[in-house]
Amino acid sequence: MTDQIPQAVTWGLAAALLATAVLLLRQHGITARQRRRNADLVREVRAREEELRHLVSVRLPALADHPGQDVPVIGPRDARIAATEYGRHLERVLALFSVAVDHAHARADRSAKAALQASMRSIQALANEQQISIAEMQDRHDDPDVLRDLLEIDHTNAQFGRRAQAIAVLCGSWPGRQRATSPLIDVVRGATSRIRDYRRIRVNGQIDIAVESRAVEPVVLALAELLDNAARHSQPDTTVEVTVQTVHNGACVVIDDAGVGMDAQAVESAGRLLDGHRTVDVTRLGDPPRFGFAVIGVLAQRYGFSVSVDTRSPYGGVRAVALLPAALLTHLEPDTPEFPARPAPSPEDIPRRAVTEGITEGGLPKRRRRTPRRQVALEPEPFDAEEPPGRSPEENARIMGAFARGTRFGRAAGRILDDDVIAPEPATPHDNEGTPHA
Amino acid sequence: MTPRPRPGGRLVRSYVVTDGRARPTRNTLDLITLLTAADDLPPTGLTPEKRRVTELCRHGALSLGEVAGHLGLPVSVTKVLVADLMDSGHITTRAPSPGSSYPDEQGEHPPTARRFDAAILQEVLDGLRARL
Repeated sequence: MTDQIPQAVTWGLAAALLATAVLLLRQHGITARQRRRNADLVREVRAREEELRHLVSVRLPALADHPGQDVPVIGPRDARIAATEYGRHLERVLALFSVAVDHAHARADRSAKAALQASMRSIQALANEQQISIAEMQDRHDDPDVLRDLLEIDHTNAQFGRRAQAIAVLCGSWPGRQRATSPLIDVVRGATSRIRDYRRIRVNGQIDIAVESRAVEPVVLALAELLDNAARHSQPDTTVEVTVQTVHNGACVVIDDAGVGMDAQAVESAGRLLDGHRTVDVTRLGDPPRFGFAVIGVLAQRYGFSVSVDTRSPYGGVRAVALLPAALLTHLEPDTPEFPARPAPSPEDIPRRAVTEGITEGGLPKRRRRTPRRQVALEPEPFDAEEPPGRSPEENARIMGAFARGTRFGRAAGRILDDDVIAPEPATPHDNEGTPHA
Repeated sequence: MTPRPRPGGRLVRSYVVTDGRARPTRNTLDLITLLTAADDLPPTGLTPEKRRVTELCRHGALSLGEVAGHLGLPVSVTKVLVADLMDSGHITTRAPSPGSSYPDEQGEHPPTARRFDAAILQEVLDGLRARL
């Protein structure tokens, strides 16, 4: 019995050891799994943190810098996280942020445009007013010195007006100023009138094509921007050659400068602005803002002409080509002076259509009435209110005469009537007094 | 008399018309100088305004004031153009027709007629009637 006890203890211990070992083994497995899991979780948390940092420091700023533009969106760092719920939430944050930025940006752009447009419109009106005053002064003064000063002021004012007009157009306003259908050459020279170095522009080509009234001002404005660019980016001692020619279905104006030209990147960005399909962001035109190509793009798109600057000029600079479709053009009727000069007819040649009635005191012939004097009608002539407009002067005179005679007659008749009324008046009180007695 | 410029102003500004010059190359021109175009010179190489001046003066003499009116340009600007055309031989000037200007004792031409002349006024009247 006593030797059985140690045996039992041994068995018991063995069983306990075994159980402990099994438990330890299991615990070890659990711990290892837990550790692995912990490590995984730590990795995932780190990855998420990284992803969040990436979102905040890279992806959102990229979106904020290019609102509403088709920049390639920067993707998540870790593709595995993108597939999780967390990743989808991050994408949602990005989308919401993008919408908010776009809205804020659109609102800012709208208000900037509205403010610019309103102020430019008033500046434009002032420039126009000043231009009219200058034109009147030019008509009034005959002194070359005064004229020289006026020409200078006029030139500065024209550039000033063009700037205001360009900014207003960029902000969605119309170019304004209805003009008559004008020869294409004059349209080019009108554009020349609005730039600083107008004396360096040489216009070549003789075509009898005119620009339709509605397109004159926009084409002038677009060409002025091109000419200004050409003159500004070339040496002051070079000329800017403008060639006007007809093409298959329209006309084109080719502007060559002998300047430095543009690099590929500049040509590409100019091409993007010139095609005019993108809304122009007035807050992102650079500092100082460069309006030129953006304005041309807006006008070209709105009026249906096209401008390209992607060719090199044979003179080394840029060749800008403005292509005006036939829809904006018309043919000019032959230029005949309305009152051509001719030798003064001798008095004998003139058919004496008007017969003079005597001579005035100064020895001048008296003018005769065109129609014989009408007998003064006693009855006013019926006045036809339905008569269509566009009467001849004689007819007008007749109607007005009839009206005057009618009122005169009416007044005279009224006086007679008044006399009639006044005359029996003393009798009426008598009658009134008489009635009670009756 | 000069047609008033449209509210928007002239499309081609005066300084482009004269290439920036304000002083005519000669100062013998005034409002009533009569201009005649020379027939033998082709109007090649002329600006549209200069070509128009030669066209206007081709059929006979026209005064500078009238030319300015037809072009819609200020008289001072027209003078610059006409002086250029005289230099290039496209335009010749003629003394104003007798009667429209009166040389006084000093031989100067006063800008306006000083006395009343029925014959000229009669001619003007006849001319106007001929247009009716």
